[in-house]
Amino acid sequence: MVDMNVRCPRCGEIVSFSGIPGERRVVSCPSCGTDARLSFPGGEIQTSENTIEVSHLRKVYDDLIAVDDISFNVKKGEIFAFLGPNGAGKTTTVEIIESIRKPTAGSVKLLGKDIKTQFNAVKEYIGILPQEFHSFERLTVRETLVYFSKLYKKQANIDEIITAMDLTEYTKKLYRNLSGGLKQRVGVAISLVNDPDVVFLDEPTTGLDPKARREVWMVIANLRKRGKTVFLTTHYMEEAEFLADHIAIIHKGNIIAEGSLEELIDQYGTGSTMHIKKCKDPMETIDILKEKGYDVLSTGNGDIAVKIPHKERVLEVLSDMRHACIEYENIDIRRSNLEEVFLNLTGAKLAEEK
Amino acid sequence: MNLRIIGVDFVVSFKGWIRSKGTIFWSIFFPVLLILLFGAIFSGSDSPSYTLQIQDLDDSQSSQMYLDMLKNISILKIEMINASENITDYIQKNDLKGAMVIPKGFGDTIALSHIDKDASVNLSFYFDPSDQGSTSVVRSIIGSSLQEFNLALSKGSHTIGMDSVSTITSNFKYIDFFIPGMIGFTIMQLCIYGSIERNTKYRKDGILRKLLTTPITRTEWLLSKMLFTMFLSLFSTLIACLIGILVWGVVIHVNLWMITIIFATSFLFSGIGMIIGRFVKEEETADTAAGAISFPMMFLAGTFFPLQQMPMFLQEFAKVLPLYYVNEGLRNAMISLDFDKAAYNGIIVIVFALVFFIAGVLLTKWKED
Repeated sequence: MVDMNVRCPRCGEIVSFSGIPGERRVVSCPSCGTDARLSFPGGEIQTSENTIEVSHLRKVYDDLIAVDDISFNVKKGEIFAFLGPNGAGKTTTVEIIESIRKPTAGSVKLLGKDIKTQFNAVKEYIGILPQEFHSFERLTVRETLVYFSKLYKKQANIDEIITAMDLTEYTKKLYRNLSGGLKQRVGVAISLVNDPDVVFLDEPTTGLDPKARREVWMVIANLRKRGKTVFLTTHYMEEAEFLADHIAIIHKGNIIAEGSLEELIDQYGTGSTMHIKKCKDPMETIDILKEKGYDVLSTGNGDIAVKIPHKERVLEVLSDMRHACIEYENIDIRRSNLEEVFLNLTGAKLAEEK
Repeated sequence: MNLRIIGVDFVVSFKGWIRSKGTIFWSIFFPVLLILLFGAIFSGSDSPSYTLQIQDLDDSQSSQMYLDMLKNISILKIEMINASENITDYIQKNDLKGAMVIPKGFGDTIALSHIDKDASVNLSFYFDPSDQGSTSVVRSIIGSSLQEFNLALSKGSHTIGMDSVSTITSNFKYIDFFIPGMIGFTIMQLCIYGSIERNTKYRKDGILRKLLTTPITRTEWLLSKMLFTMFLSLFSTLIACLIGILVWGVVIHVNLWMITIIFATSFLFSGIGMIIGRFVKEEETADTAAGAISFPMMFLAGTFFPLQQMPMFLQEFAKVLPLYYVNEGLRNAMISLDFDKAAYNGIIVIVFALVFFIAGVLLTKWKED
């Protein structure tokens, strides 16, 4: 077993969790109940087999290069997030993989089959939730699922899907009368009616309120437990942070960074920032910490921010502060996130690019 | 071809239809409402009739013969003007839209024509130019009657004559005319708007993209939708016929040409809907485009009123409209049992259907660019 101390992104509480090396699971903050996904260090996911192999993919519309020679692999059983602002080329890429659009150049292998010639052979094994999908308005939830399942030879148990997606109380409701969040849950459920090996979810939470978004996240997180490979496109960094095992950041048709959340933050983030609140003597504290070689600045109201490039240095800073008898009210450590990664890579905020 | 998938998709279309109040209204209640309404409005005048005032200045056996011929035309109501009246004053005083004068010497000239082939006499037709509708019909009836009369005098062959005209018009009540038109109109609306929903709304909602990634093929899906469209067309035809028979006592003949024209019409207007859906991506705009095409066609193709009541150029224009041939073909097949004309109009509908449906299928894509 390994122990992990993590800070709750909502309330800031430091919480300790234990897990098996390599285990990934959703944990809840005991103080505020916020869910987060944890990857315990050590071990490896059994993902040696590539479910999707994209090679030198390119898509050009007249004089617009939507996708510019991108290559990546998606491993079996992982949640792969394709993160980028609107218009970056996410949907074009996923729709080429789904054989909805034709590529200008490049190749895609899905479950080992070339989609140009063998897409029909993989239809039974994939499930898709298109962007801004709305199903038949005048069918009930159950009728909708039954309709789509009957299109396949391989059919999952509809009742099991309904239970797994927490849709039991809505089975007799017409699709048109469902809330946005429920519609998306039904959309995800539809993508599972053939018990697929790979599920494509194209911006599944766009337009949803935070509560509904979180509900859909839990549904997607459950797909990993069911052994599905999930290809998720999103422009919400929190979504990728919460769900993804592997993230590819796409910007203006190019993949500009790729890796696990930790890898991306380590490689492209600015580390962590320690916020020392209400220092008794901020100017003197700044001088002391600068002498020790830290990157320090005042943030006003007696608060100080100390840049910490590696998390191992946190204890070092605390130790130096104790030795210098620096007095303060409290300390808050903020870790670098995908927003910062994107900012560092592109010079623009992800939100501004939308 | 997977018949199970076609069946599953057909059931979904049926459920969607039966649960849509709007579609039920437009496909069943609206045609029923119009049949009841128009039937009630025109129930007093079973066939369109025109009054023709005639002044016989000759009062001969020949003029009497001609008058008898005109009186036999059911569509005409003949009223006589006293020979002593000044015709122009009389027309003005009685605000007449049209009147005909048989001149003095009419009979003598006819008698002379047996010896002198150049002998001729003209009837005078006074009309109000502002009343293009009825006067043009009356003028064409007089023209036909004169041709018939000339033919009779010259002992010519009787292959084409007034008899056939009068036979049709005498049995052709307004409601008989209206019900086939209403059936054609309803099928047109159902198919165009249904097709647009499938090609714009389903595209916008991602349903087509979703289906593209499932095992259902485009052919299976299209076949299922066309089967459902044909079912709807037959169902709305049945409802219109039942109302016609039960409420207005219309005698409707069901035959192969009627069914053929109904099915061909379903393909024809579904094809037009697909073409609209291909070029107009927004659902609302597509509905407007469909209205812009179907509503003028409804009025110009003789759905509600006989084309003969319209100016000549509109009558000619109607002949390029597919709905004209649908309406005429259905009337020929269902009401007048004129199978030659039903075949003629039916074949034109089939040709239109082939052209528009094939064009629609070729233009409609599931895949994105």
